[in-house]
Amino acid sequence: MAQIPVEDGYMIIPTEKGKSVRLVGSYSPEADESFFPRRRRCPITGGPVEDVEFSSVGTLYSWTFLHVPRMGLVPFAQDGGYGVGQVDLPEGPRIQAVIEGDMGDWEIGMKMRTKAYKIAEDKEGNELCGFCFEPEVES
Amino acid sequence: MNRDVYVIGVGAHPFGKHGVPVGDMADVAGMAALEDAGIKFPDVDRLYNGYIAAGGMMTGVTFAKEFGLTGLPVVHVENASATGSTAFQEAVLSVAGGNAEIAMALGFDDMNRMGGMMAAGFSRPSIDTVLLPAAFFAMWAVRRMHDNGTTVETFAKIAAKNWNHARSNPIAQRRSDHEVTPEEVLASTMISYPHTSMMACAAGGGAACALVASEEVVRRLGDSRPKVKVLASQQQSEQYTKGHVFMGAVIGPSEMTRTTAQAAYEEAGLGPDDLNFVHVHDAFPIEELMYYELLGICGDGEGDKLVAEGATSLGGRIPFSPDGGLTARGHPGGPTGLAQVWDATQQLRGESGDRQIPDARIGMCHMVGAGSVSVVHLLARSD
Repeated sequence: MAQIPVEDGYMIIPTEKGKSVRLVGSYSPEADESFFPRRRRCPITGGPVEDVEFSSVGTLYSWTFLHVPRMGLVPFAQDGGYGVGQVDLPEGPRIQAVIEGDMGDWEIGMKMRTKAYKIAEDKEGNELCGFCFEPEVES
Repeated sequence: MNRDVYVIGVGAHPFGKHGVPVGDMADVAGMAALEDAGIKFPDVDRLYNGYIAAGGMMTGVTFAKEFGLTGLPVVHVENASATGSTAFQEAVLSVAGGNAEIAMALGFDDMNRMGGMMAAGFSRPSIDTVLLPAAFFAMWAVRRMHDNGTTVETFAKIAAKNWNHARSNPIAQRRSDHEVTPEEVLASTMISYPHTSMMACAAGGGAACALVASEEVVRRLGDSRPKVKVLASQQQSEQYTKGHVFMGAVIGPSEMTRTTAQAAYEEAGLGPDDLNFVHVHDAFPIEELMYYELLGICGDGEGDKLVAEGATSLGGRIPFSPDGGLTARGHPGGPTGLAQVWDATQQLRGESGDRQIPDARIGMCHMVGAGSVSVVHLLARSD
């Protein structure tokens, strides 16, 4: 079944293999700054903004591991918890999200790639997805 | 401020997981403050109720009826963790602006009965992931360890200090029967690396109240105790910074504390060296460590040294969280900022018993609230 964003306007999940999930935000030409998620107007100048698709790879700014067995609707029974990180995208925004892996897997400054992850399922069996980050595998 | 404002009375109900109904706790705190000030409820011109989780609409105005039906304006104030501080500010500004001679700020809550926000976030699928506040401060801590070489032992020392400060505080949620050591703090359950359960703030129920008044009222009351004057009252919301986090931004940029404190220092015409004690939003020890620097108590990157020297312990150069802070006095939500005012007022009057700071003349009360906001008040003994 297909992976679809649980809410519109935040991310693009490509159907082609080998393509990465991309977050969608706003770019303010006046301030030359980008923001996530999308803004109604530039928070700095009040001027207009346009949609922008961000790079799928960013840099880990900080991380933690929460020893709590579930986050929202998603259980983490196997690991007894989950990682959370802040990832700086090349366009500027800092994104806070779940990060895949376990204690010892993360280092500040490492590359992280955007990924869809299942939050729930709809009646047709489609995966309703949010986003997370996973450590980028060096090729 | 257009005219001088004084704290004339404070009261509180002990914090904890005791299950006392919120209305009962609010009543105890409110009546204690009225008695402390030597006034009756009909003397109060405006009432600001601060609560987050205590109930739905009407809660504050319903509780107010127990004090009396005097027809006074009653307002519900909510600013997450900074709710009590914001209610206090509204009371202060109403007197400063001449809309009241006496105003009451009353905070009450029970975090263990919290439904609303968290329940909603956990019950429906949403792209705005529900990250626990513990995660945000833990990420401050991991970054700090990376940038400054801060150790987990430093976090444990700060938490142990606050546990020990609370031992003689009659309203504290966590009153240890023994001297708490950093080793004990480190050995407690891990919550969110590097923070353990004994480093996390105590969430329970409680109530606290402060009454503020004009100089004319203070003169009329003729209280023989030292007077407590509000030197500054400042609140700020987020300003844009590079790497600003919008989604799931429970906690805003830490710089917000620096700019709010600067505004407060400017308003009062003094600086960090003039302070005798400081109350902060120490939900986790990384916060207290960073606030040493953001409030200007020491230079950037020098906070760890203050901990090593014991400078922020009772008996040290500048005690932080002298009542145990959020760590051990507790953080029920609405009343927390007012519990700071409760303790600061008693410190400035010289009424704090075993935890009294000798010759305390000026104190700061700082809170942050999710969303997010920062609130700073400066209080001073005014002989």
